[in-house]
Amino acid sequence: MNSESLVLETRDLGYSYAPGKFAIRHLSLGLRRGEVLGLLGRNGAGKTTTVRLLTTLLPPTEGTAIVLGQDVHHGGRALRARLGVVLQSESLDFVTVERNLTLYAFLWGVPREAAAARAEEMIELFELEQARHRKPWALSGGERRRFQVARELMHDMEILFLDEPTVGLDAIARRRILRYLRERARGGLSIVFTTHILHEADILCDRVAVLHLGRLIALDTAESLKLQHGGAREASMTFTTSLEPIPRAELTQELARRGATLLEVPGESSVPLNRVAFRSEHAEELLPWLSHWAQAHSLEIERLAVEEATLEGAFLGMIGEAPDEGDRAAGETGRPGGTLPPGRMGGPP
Amino acid sequence: MRIPPVLRLVIRNFASNLDPLTIIIRFGQPAVTIVVLGTMFSSIVSSSVTGGTSYTAFLVPGMIAFQMITGGVVAGNLFWLDRRWSMVEQIFSGPFLRSEYLGGLVLTTLLFSLVGVGVMMLVGLPFIGLPSLSPVAVGLVLLTVALGSIFFAGLLIALGTRLRSANAYFTIQSFLQLFVIFLSTVYYPITSKTPKVLATIFYCNPLTYAADTIRDAFLRTMGMGDLEGLGVLAALAAVAFGAAIWGFRTLDLGPIQ
Repeated sequence: MNSESLVLETRDLGYSYAPGKFAIRHLSLGLRRGEVLGLLGRNGAGKTTTVRLLTTLLPPTEGTAIVLGQDVHHGGRALRARLGVVLQSESLDFVTVERNLTLYAFLWGVPREAAAARAEEMIELFELEQARHRKPWALSGGERRRFQVARELMHDMEILFLDEPTVGLDAIARRRILRYLRERARGGLSIVFTTHILHEADILCDRVAVLHLGRLIALDTAESLKLQHGGAREASMTFTTSLEPIPRAELTQELARRGATLLEVPGESSVPLNRVAFRSEHAEELLPWLSHWAQAHSLEIERLAVEEATLEGAFLGMIGEAPDEGDRAAGETGRPGGTLPPGRMGGPP
Repeated sequence: MRIPPVLRLVIRNFASNLDPLTIIIRFGQPAVTIVVLGTMFSSIVSSSVTGGTSYTAFLVPGMIAFQMITGGVVAGNLFWLDRRWSMVEQIFSGPFLRSEYLGGLVLTTLLFSLVGVGVMMLVGLPFIGLPSLSPVAVGLVLLTVALGSIFFAGLLIALGTRLRSANAYFTIQSFLQLFVIFLSTVYYPITSKTPKVLATIFYCNPLTYAADTIRDAFLRTMGMGDLEGLGVLAALAAVAFGAAIWGFRTLDLGPIQ
């Protein structure tokens, strides 16, 4: 990556809160203009510490971080004036939502008329009309979070840091915010986004940085991470007719030989004679072979389903946690299109 | 016109956290004290004890000195609430310096205290008339209250930077407020009959110096003792403010309860 095009670059960045105890260490990453970078990791992985280091709230104890051309050690006010930060913790003033928005804009030196217009825009965008005249303590958890994101967008910035901005939001509100952030990124705003909801990172982020125990263990596009670390996935195939004993035995033996774990063997237990299901690290690579095999045996494929690779699966694979049944189920419904129509993979017409 | 960051923070302090009820109670309490305590004690406290003046005339300067506690408490509480509701971290992540935030708190304190001085003067007016204060005396009163306010604001802010529990903060703050007021010459003078231990404690209390100095300004009996008192107050204010700066430099912005 050409470092000249970066708005943020860290080299071996680290923060130790006690001698020998690091919250984050050897963090080297970059952020391009208009890019959305997701920071993923378990609780305590170092995501919030990273955001605080990059926004000058914490001084790095090792390494460097250059944000908008300035070292965070010395950037100070001039640097912060070009950043936006939505903290993980709720930060509120004891006035109405509308007043909170305009007061925050005032703090940032936004002219009164511009602040009033932007407050209206934010109230509409973040569906805060009902809450406009309410004080923070009268807001629901979701309203508070929406308000907090809206408030930060009251001023202009070049990089926006969002520390778990969608916690407690319903699906519609979450989608609206993500869509808005995507639009802003297209307009040139660079975004650093931490979340526990991996599906969000999958749809919003251009690249994803995975932190584990204070270390960066992966930095790539979500698609690439899914391919590299997605782990074993399930696939199932249903034929239009039952399999005869000989092809049945051949199929199961071949799948096992190719490293697949058979989950449903035709004719065994209550599995129909026309269905086979397996799990494999290379499920997608097996599909062409299966289609070819079906064709060679004059079998017609009625239904072919491959579990969708998810960022969650990749994430769990990266941090060494095996996905359980629930994770897989979530993966299967993660995105429509996991089921392919017959013949797509070369089955007989 | 671009408003300087410190003033933006002061305006925000007043707009966000000082609701009318708080302001009424903060100024109302000493005002009611002047009216009720002044009226009741004037008839039973001999003027020989209060330096030849009525008890109300003795009390009004004390209540003016009291405003430095009011202002200090306002700053301490503002800071605590900002910290509790993560506004300190939010403001620090914006285009402000920590020193500007601290400066904003101190300016808020001073404004609050000085308005309080005016309110106490107004409340005392029907009882003691318009005091004929020389410009030097006015300056002395304002400087005393300002230094005292900085002392208490610094003390409570420094405390707020170290504590992590609201219970602990407000308990210590109430305890301090109570003892600082009652172990001072706000309500009663130090006389020859005052126990030596108490008198010593009184003289360790900055509010005593403030109350005595303001009283001398009102009674036109200012002397070197008042300048010494002002010096003590300035030294204490510097120490407390220094503690607040140190607290800010080492402030952990992590969550508190």
